[in-house]
Amino acid sequence: MSEPHFIAINAKFGYDFVMHVVVITSADTMAEVAQKVAHHSVGKRIRPEPRDMVVYYEGRAVAAHTTVIEAGIRPLQHVFVDYA
Amino acid sequence: MALMKREEWQDLVREVDWTFSYVDDDAVFPEWQSGTGKVPRDAWRAWEESYKISYPEYVSVQREKEASAFAVKAALQRSTVFDNLDEGWKSCAKVHFGGVSLAEYTAFIAEARMARFGLAGAWRNMAVLGALDEIRHCQLSLFFAHEFVSKDPQYDWALKAFHTNQWAIVAARALFDAMMVGGNVVDTAIQLPLVFETGFTNLQFVGLASDALASGDINFANMISSVQTDEARHAQQGGPTLELLMKHDPVRAQWIVDKMFWLSGRVFAVLTGPAMDYYTPLYHRRQSYKEFMHEWIISQFIRTLQDYGLKKPWYWDEFIDGLDVWHHSLHLGIWFWRPTVWWKPQAGMSKAERQWLNAKYPKWEEIYGPIWDQIIANANTGDIEVTLPECLPWLCNTCHLPQCTHTALHDGKYRVRDFALTHDNYTYHFCSKVCRQIWWEDRDMLHVKTLGERLLAGDIQPPDFAGLLKYMALTPDVVGDDAYNYKWAEDYR
Repeated sequence: MSEPHFIAINAKFGYDFVMHVVVITSADTMAEVAQKVAHHSVGKRIRPEPRDMVVYYEGRAVAAHTTVIEAGIRPLQHVFVDYA
Repeated sequence: MALMKREEWQDLVREVDWTFSYVDDDAVFPEWQSGTGKVPRDAWRAWEESYKISYPEYVSVQREKEASAFAVKAALQRSTVFDNLDEGWKSCAKVHFGGVSLAEYTAFIAEARMARFGLAGAWRNMAVLGALDEIRHCQLSLFFAHEFVSKDPQYDWALKAFHTNQWAIVAARALFDAMMVGGNVVDTAIQLPLVFETGFTNLQFVGLASDALASGDINFANMISSVQTDEARHAQQGGPTLELLMKHDPVRAQWIVDKMFWLSGRVFAVLTGPAMDYYTPLYHRRQSYKEFMHEWIISQFIRTLQDYGLKKPWYWDEFIDGLDVWHHSLHLGIWFWRPTVWWKPQAGMSKAERQWLNAKYPKWEEIYGPIWDQIIANANTGDIEVTLPECLPWLCNTCHLPQCTHTALHDGKYRVRDFALTHDNYTYHFCSKVCRQIWWEDRDMLHVKTLGERLLAGDIQPPDFAGLLKYMALTPDVVGDDAYNYKWAEDYR
């Protein structure tokens, strides 16, 4: 198995007003991706809520334990994260 | 000595042209510069400006304007007017000085190119006067801003801005280069004098002069009025050019107008929208940005379309819808990313200002209220760090502005969506379908990398926020901060 590598994605959280450049790794799980995307929005412009987060890629929700490489998320692709 | 009357000689000199004997016409007016396209070469003889002026008249009028502008400036130089100006208004002026001063110089290049490669003698004469105008505008803007540099280094960005890679300037430069420098002069005459000057700046300058007066900035009002009267004259180069293009190649004319109106509207939303709806003190606001756009820009643009037989652009409904959201999102972005600008953005978020926004924009509270509420909560707990950015927003590959355009979804809610396009194994991202369409049509001419692409390519070092500020030439003495030190947030305690 190859070493994890960095991947830059175009990401947005919930009702936030702007897309961000977010760097994730190929080994990150969707739960980790959600945290990395949320970091730039939740508590800053989005009210924190005690709820799970879901990653959507190509219009479909991806299970929290799935890794980036398993989900097939490629560099420069758009990822959307929201509360479940 | 008796002088001939102007009408006795002007027809002879306004259209000086001659037949070349030792070079081909193509060598003097190459297609890539002159751009006649489907318009027959002889057809350009019909080009006629509606308002005629001779060179001696031009010099006489300009001399008076210069004397008047500088007399007012000299009279005010020792007054305390500047010290009493509202910080929000000062931001309007700084945005203008940085975003416009050297764009005026680029406009000089456009005029000089039309003066050389324009296909009619009368057009070239008009463009000579236009070129002199634009040099004057650049010099006036720089000189008026220079007076304040010793008081506030942000004014130094009147000269500096276009020599940097600051994000708003990257966006403005991409637009102005495409509009004024990159294309042939026929395209330029429609893009700059017709769409941008007649359609946007000429009217905006009238409004800006009035806002400046209301805010007590007599000097700025004086400068901008002096500039505007020139614009009104040289902007008329667009009309006769469009008339000929509509006759011989209406498809090309429609595309140039549609494209440039959209792109001008995007930059207008970031430079003028926040200034009108957030920076101008509430008691001085006469109309909202949306009202201004409808009354001045939209109605005039529709008249222009009708006058020349053009259709409404294919994106018309989306553009009108955007008047409710574009500049609000861009203002929010500018305020949140305030260390990346050369002015002090005024949040414009006191309860009274918010009430005004809700009255003018019925969708505002639903879209922006929850986001500002979180920011306000953080400001009121003194947690300023979390009101500041740590990364880059994603920038649109066409307009170079943040990807923050709300559009209506099927359920009626407004959300920011990604408009992507994969071409040659590379994925581009756009703020809107329209920017994506423009990129696709003009992709062979659009090569400016967004700041995000430069970051990912390793051009920005170190690849973090500090590196980004350094890349944008924003030094600690200049970086923007909240205009009122977050006092407006106290309204919500």
